[in-house]
Amino acid sequence: MSSTNSHLSDQELLLAADGELPPARAEEAALHLAECWTCRVRKGEIEESIRDFVHAYRGNLDPLLPSPAGPRALLKAQLAEMTAETAPAPQGWRIRWSQFATLRYAGAALFLVFLGLLIYSRPAFQTRQGFRVVPVSFPEPSLTPGVTAGVNRDQICGSKPPKNRIVPASLQRRVFEEYGISGAEPRAYEVDYLITPALGGADDIRNLWPQSNSSAVWNARVKDALEDRLHDLVCDGRLDLVTAQRDISSDWIAAYKKYFETDRPLQ
Amino acid sequence: MFKDRTIPELAATKVSSAQGTSPKPTPLEEEVVALFDQMQDRLLRYLLSTGVSVQDGEEIVQEVFLALFQHLQRGKSRRNLRAWVFQVAHNLSVKRYLANRRDRQNLVEPGEAPAEHTFIDRAPNPEDQLASNQSQARLQSVFRALPQQDRRCLSLRAEGLTYREIGKVLDMSLGAVALSLGRSLARFARVEER
Repeated sequence: MSSTNSHLSDQELLLAADGELPPARAEEAALHLAECWTCRVRKGEIEESIRDFVHAYRGNLDPLLPSPAGPRALLKAQLAEMTAETAPAPQGWRIRWSQFATLRYAGAALFLVFLGLLIYSRPAFQTRQGFRVVPVSFPEPSLTPGVTAGVNRDQICGSKPPKNRIVPASLQRRVFEEYGISGAEPRAYEVDYLITPALGGADDIRNLWPQSNSSAVWNARVKDALEDRLHDLVCDGRLDLVTAQRDISSDWIAAYKKYFETDRPLQ
Repeated sequence: MFKDRTIPELAATKVSSAQGTSPKPTPLEEEVVALFDQMQDRLLRYLLSTGVSVQDGEEIVQEVFLALFQHLQRGKSRRNLRAWVFQVAHNLSVKRYLANRRDRQNLVEPGEAPAEHTFIDRAPNPEDQLASNQSQARLQSVFRALPQQDRRCLSLRAEGLTYREIGKVLDMSLGAVALSLGRSLARFARVEER
């Protein structure tokens, strides 16, 4: 269009609505729209189509968005780990205090030490491929806080209680990657639900962790016994579901000791 | 070298972890977390609109912000991080789809999702059904019939990206983005007129 007298095309009307016209052309379009009802009506129709689409888009997708709290905590933990990995190591004993004065470096160093202790304290042995198999008896809270599926006691204790489903191999690999054991042999671990579906646990990576089959004492069979016990207690009305979920997700070994009244596994 | 940990040791590890012995976040960590707070819902919604599952979407969003951290850590450009973040998310979702296709996973290729897997075709609950009307039903059928690239353009525009940003994310020219959006909205308008 070369003058303000010609009608605007639909394309130009959309560009005008989206603020995408070049400044000079936007000025011309604004002048034309001020005097042309036809173009204003067309622009209104385009805006209406946009409104309808956005309404459907947000209305359908927003209810699906989960809480960002878990992913946010996971991101923070991973960023801290990446910072620690890239932090410069001290140059021997002759390091000057001025170089180590800021809280930032001190904090990074402490975190490195913490990580080192954490890794070193995990028992492991070498597989034939040279990968370390870590007998994980305890889930990492930042990676596996435990997630519930929002089911109630009636659903859990009904005639068709939820059962553990087979975790797909690709999801198992992602769990291994999160735990830094991406080279692990799948048979060396059981990717287990922290809160079992029979107690309302969700099919969510934040509810899955790699429980090592090489753990001699606090192994998967012991946890299975705890899950059965808690399920019975909940369905008998002797324990509320939320408490059972909280106890098994916060410290399943302590929960075992509490509900079986023993310091060692009974089996 | 490695021996079984005793229960008190395990408990101590857990407690120290839970009590947060990690160092104070660096300014860069805080910046990335702030960007996550601003953008994660928009990013996840875009991924869901292209047929990615919630779980895969959350994992892709994590990967995006870890990549952003590395990007900024290396001193690379801070210009238009919004488009950068969407572009990485888009590329990761396509890459993940290609990697998972062999495993016959449920992830649907972004933009190539069968119509029944895109947001517009999600089965409505009773409340949705009450709220829906004929206009929305027509809108759904039009969206379903749109080419994949047009659906992507619409979703990105709905997330507030400018034409230039959409062009960067989807590797399209500015004119192609404008044509795509105009074409889609013209289809909506034609159906409304019937």
